[in-house]
Amino acid sequence: MPEKHEKPRIGVYVCHCGLNIAGVVDVKKVAQDAKSLPGVVMSKDYRYLCSVPGQELIKKDIKEHKLNRVVVAACTPNMHEATFRKVLEESGVNPYLLEIANIREHCSWVHRNEPQKATKKSTELTTMAVAKARNMEPLTIKEVDALKSALVIGGGITGINAAIDLAEMGFQVYLVERNESIGGRMSQLDKTFPTLDCSTCVLGPKMVEVYRHPNIKILSYSEVVGLDGYVGNFKVKVLRKPRYVIEENCTGCGECSNVCPIEIPNYWNMNMGVRKCISIPFEHAVPLVYRIDMDNCINCYKCVETCGARNAILFDQKPETVELNVGAIVVAIGFDPYDPAKDEQYGYEVYPNVITGLEMERLLSAAGPTGGVINRPSDLTEPKRVAFIQCVGSRNLKRNPYCSRVCCMYSIKHGRQLKEKHPEMEVAIYYMDIRAFGKGYEEFYEKAAREYRIQFIRGRVSEITEDPKTHNLIVHAEDTFLGRPVELEYDMVVLAIGLEPHSTTDKIQEILKISRSPDKFLQEAHPKLRPVDTLAAGIYIAGTCQGPKDIPDSVAQAKAAASSVAMLLHKGKIRIESIIASVIEALCTGCGKCVDVCPFQAISIDETKNIATILEAKCNGCGSCAATCPVGAMQLRHFKDEQILAMIENALSPIRKE
Amino acid sequence: MVELRYAFFLGCTIPYRVTSYEVSARKVAAKLGIELVEMNDFNCCGLPIDPVSHEAMLVLAARNLCLAEQQNLNITTLCTGCAITLRKVNRMLKENKELREIINRRLKEVGMEFKGTIEVKHFAHVLAEDYGTENIKQHVKKPLAQLQVSEHAGCHFLRPMEYTGFDHPEDPTLLKGLIEATGAKYLDYMDKTNCCGFTVIAIDDKISLSLTGSKLGNMQDVGAEAVVTVCPSCFLMFDVQQPRIERAFGKTFSIPVVHYTQLLGLAMGMSAHELELDTHRVAATSLLSKIG
Amino acid sequence: MGAEQSAELKETIRSSHLDRNFPKEVMKHHGGEKLFLCYQCGSCAGGCPVGRLTTDYNPRQIVRLASLGLKDNVLKSNSLWFCTACFTCTDRCPQGLEVASIIRVIRNMAAEQGIVPQVFKELGSSILETGLAYKIPELRLKKREEQKLPPMPTTDTKAVDKLLEATGFPKLIKGQPVKEA
Repeated sequence: MPEKHEKPRIGVYVCHCGLNIAGVVDVKKVAQDAKSLPGVVMSKDYRYLCSVPGQELIKKDIKEHKLNRVVVAACTPNMHEATFRKVLEESGVNPYLLEIANIREHCSWVHRNEPQKATKKSTELTTMAVAKARNMEPLTIKEVDALKSALVIGGGITGINAAIDLAEMGFQVYLVERNESIGGRMSQLDKTFPTLDCSTCVLGPKMVEVYRHPNIKILSYSEVVGLDGYVGNFKVKVLRKPRYVIEENCTGCGECSNVCPIEIPNYWNMNMGVRKCISIPFEHAVPLVYRIDMDNCINCYKCVETCGARNAILFDQKPETVELNVGAIVVAIGFDPYDPAKDEQYGYEVYPNVITGLEMERLLSAAGPTGGVINRPSDLTEPKRVAFIQCVGSRNLKRNPYCSRVCCMYSIKHGRQLKEKHPEMEVAIYYMDIRAFGKGYEEFYEKAAREYRIQFIRGRVSEITEDPKTHNLIVHAEDTFLGRPVELEYDMVVLAIGLEPHSTTDKIQEILKISRSPDKFLQEAHPKLRPVDTLAAGIYIAGTCQGPKDIPDSVAQAKAAASSVAMLLHKGKIRIESIIASVIEALCTGCGKCVDVCPFQAISIDETKNIATILEAKCNGCGSCAATCPVGAMQLRHFKDEQILAMIENALSPIRKE
Repeated sequence: MVELRYAFFLGCTIPYRVTSYEVSARKVAAKLGIELVEMNDFNCCGLPIDPVSHEAMLVLAARNLCLAEQQNLNITTLCTGCAITLRKVNRMLKENKELREIINRRLKEVGMEFKGTIEVKHFAHVLAEDYGTENIKQHVKKPLAQLQVSEHAGCHFLRPMEYTGFDHPEDPTLLKGLIEATGAKYLDYMDKTNCCGFTVIAIDDKISLSLTGSKLGNMQDVGAEAVVTVCPSCFLMFDVQQPRIERAFGKTFSIPVVHYTQLLGLAMGMSAHELELDTHRVAATSLLSKIG
Repeated sequence: MGAEQSAELKETIRSSHLDRNFPKEVMKHHGGEKLFLCYQCGSCAGGCPVGRLTTDYNPRQIVRLASLGLKDNVLKSNSLWFCTACFTCTDRCPQGLEVASIIRVIRNMAAEQGIVPQVFKELGSSILETGLAYKIPELRLKKREEQKLPPMPTTDTKAVDKLLEATGFPKLIKGQPVKEA
């Protein structure tokens, strides 16, 4: 391996990148000029360095000319730094003895109209890169042991699929779900589009599979409250909230619920139905463990009496914090529906017969509060005319600017289901555009219009007014196709509300230190190529927490996340970042400023020596400590002061060979 | 007692045709201890000619704001059109540096400068917020408990929500609170927040008469015994035009129209005559007999 | 006033009918900046109090005409003057367009070409003469004294006129075009 103080033998490669660079920059001149820089042994230009022959060329030169440093003047390091590092590694050179000069994004792409100046700038950038190369040193490549286990946060369809896939691959999975039962939003659905499969029939077996799988441990009614450690070795703190029922002892018989005298609103039925104070949220809950809502319990102890010898009820059960050690984390915390109460012109929570799409979903469900009978809230009669209002809370610069993607389809689904139950019912959908993008979706929509005769009116609803006597509603919109205002009367109106990030997203973001996109959903590492990664090593996102999407896309992302976790952990060892901080112990005064600024808690002060110590596995190489250190004791490897200063000096007055 | 002094912006419509509003307002303000200081050099707020020239409206409004700034008083006005215009221009000039510079350049020609030191409030806001609805109740000697009334707040009182300062633009409750403070029963009705159509009466009177007529019909449906207005222009539509509307649509409404200040005045024990209720076109006899 | 604005729209729209600069002009005016954000949802027309009474008036259509650049159609249309400036459209627009302001901008542009309904000419000339939109008749002034109301203000009409002169207002309310068609 080449040592630090060995004489540098630098190879410079200037890439044409087709016409991307060569169309503006005189790449031959840049390559030629580099020859006169000290340390440069050879300098070439090439059309596509990242191509196989391009890479082979570099490999050949390293061998023949005994190169021990490589400078590539080409596109952004984000594209191909990893590619060329591999080339060096495969040639027996330390992969960190590579420096990239970005003469594309930083030069040819932004100075298209000034080729001469762009060429001069490319030469300067290359000179700086060579100056750094002269001062570079090899970095150690370290591996740490990685645990072959994963945490999945969220037990909806996404979390469930990720957990099963990981478990099947042999990983130990912890599935943490904040509600009493797994199942998530899909458990609240009656039928799913476009096949109109019964949701529970699809979801139920999966829920049982999770429960039965030897590699999956479900921590239900629990929340993630803390995170420490690093990729491959995360330490997660999970709070297990008290159910006042001992999970191991509860047989799920339900006799306690039968004798409980108190009824409370059931959140699972969107508070339209009730459950007992000791109950499960729905029949097929997994795990099948009951819970007492202590806020409403009157301490009559009838449940304890009935439970008897099973001894499952424990009134002074305390919350418990457990620590899990996992190698990777998949975030699948889902979404919350948009609350339309703030859109006063629609009268939600003012006019009784205006409901939301999710409430309609519960009304349609056989397991719902009305047993699948469609009644309108004001008088419990069957509505003869129902209108659906699309884009409530979505595609609105004053609310959420994005499209929530699934509302067109779910309203069409509801419309068809209503027509199935009541063929004579008048169903209208007021829309701006119909988004029926998925497999079978357009056909589903067409059938709704042609066969089911659902009326589609193109016009965003301006307001809804109510006849105070009948509680019938008048929908004010414009039929933009006719160019006339329409004010039609309906018995019931359904607001197709959009999706928003789940209310726990703020907390999860804070604990895991991951980013949000401008639309407030969790942010993926790259919108096209890395849809389930985050910029935090070892943490993945999947499902609607990343953005509104339907079930097929959520499941696809769940599987993608599981696969990514497997890629990361399957060898049992993970390469950690080599570009990390290092302490010049002689200079360190133990002031502790670096400890305060480190976002990853990777630095501590050694008590005995009073010197900063870096926990290398946790360091992400951000450089905050190096910038903060008042005495220059903290250096960021690969970006050391001497290296950067060399670049600056050579930018201003380049040294050339005699 | 709360001490309140305002520059009183009268506007063009009130002195021209609706002095009953001015009379009742001055009397009520005096009794409540709210001082209305004359703006002796005011000009039209500019709203009527905004459709012709926005810049003309801006300079007209700005001149009034400068006058009040010179008096070092916040403006209050009885007309919702004047209120929203002066409020909007005031805020626009305060927040938009470029616009302020353009307008100040014009104002300089007449020796004025907009500094952005005062606020503008419609008189109803002054009563409800600055004076306090609770404090108003204390002055109510003859609660109008026998009366059930509907409000017509008017477009410029309610919209645009960015400039009116309400928290519930689709159903603001400020006037409701003021009306209930007089002891009267407040009646909701269909399309309560709709426009009366005054601004286009000279363009197509049929539209204006239909808009007001439709509202009168809805008020009649719920049994309103009076409609309460807070704008002289809206008042003209509901009161002066009511017989015309009745004839045009073959209906009978006979719903008396009262300015809020008249309603409050009655509740404070003043007579219908001193509040000039007898000058209205739609006779208020039924209303007056109810409250005794 | 009839529905003349639809007359020219009865033929196929051709490139020669469009003025690509017109929407940009509208967007340069204060209040008209967001013209191109309109996605023709119809919320404005759905809530417009005038629109439900007459087919001659549709705010969404006016925005559409302006966006496409059908300059003559929209500047010469009678329906342009039906808006009561109730601001319901502005409040309801999900894209944040100040629809009522856009209509006002187009009205201003029509006025620059000499199109001004009679009522505004009267209001305008009264403002130039007295500072107020209406000339208060003598008997009203006498009545004020009887009612013990303070006298009418003595508006500095010279100052008002000077301000308005600089904006070109006097010419506009005479119906004299100040801009090329």
